[in-house]
Amino acid sequence: MAKRILITDDALFMRVTLKKILTENGFEVVGEAQNGLEAVNMYKSLSPDIVTMDITMPEMDGLQALKEIRAIDPNANVIMCTAMGQKAMVVEAIQAGAKDFIVKPFQPDRVLEALNKAA
Amino acid sequence: MKVEYVGPFVDGAINVLTTLLGKTPERGKLSARPQLFTSQQVNVVCGVAGVIEGQVIYGMSVQTADKVASGMIGQTIITFDALAASAIAELGNMISGHSVTALASAGFPCDITPPTIIRGNNVKISTMNVPALVIPIKIEGLGEIEITICLREKAARIAA
Repeated sequence: MAKRILITDDALFMRVTLKKILTENGFEVVGEAQNGLEAVNMYKSLSPDIVTMDITMPEMDGLQALKEIRAIDPNANVIMCTAMGQKAMVVEAIQAGAKDFIVKPFQPDRVLEALNKAA
Repeated sequence: MKVEYVGPFVDGAINVLTTLLGKTPERGKLSARPQLFTSQQVNVVCGVAGVIEGQVIYGMSVQTADKVASGMIGQTIITFDALAASAIAELGNMISGHSVTALASAGFPCDITPPTIIRGNNVKISTMNVPALVIPIKIEGLGEIEITICLREKAARIAA
């Protein structure tokens, strides 16, 4: 059965690009959130297997959304996918429970590797 | 505004554009910008906040924006629609993200804000009291992206 993925990014371009990579490689994209708050709400209603999470977003950033999703579900699989690669941010994300941290721009193989490892 | 802030943005632009488009751009000459200037036709404005604050503006002609967006999307675009605009905004976001990561490693921790796209002819931008530096990044066959850097240190840093 295809793994169900929730994509979170405020950029239409990123959502379209990620959806294409995922769908062409056997994953099912069950939702697209445009900010952290939408991601948290969609997590509750869709219960995806994996979430991809941008960091820099309006309303609620990805680190905050990660923490809220992990509070709802301590087993949540969240992969950060962001332009911000600062060490402090990577550490904060991993400590908050992110399964992986991908820096944009990424090669499709990197994303697929992370998704296959996550769940 | 310090010349040291420029390097990370130039490196960031070159790295990101090379990864996205498969062509390594060249940096042009650094110059100063007056506080009120006429911008390019397509601009991505990214905010920077933290120990260093201000804006970085990535400007280009509509023709260059079309070609860069087409390269990023993977097919030639017909009109500069929401997807193309989002691709260009994301380009600015990625370059800024890489650049502030380098600034953080150099001892200037800061963050970026979501990008804004401004499009039009004869748009005038004012960077208020912070003087700006501009550096052109030339991509073979696609044109030029101008990076206007308008940053300052927020407060006196305490010596460690």
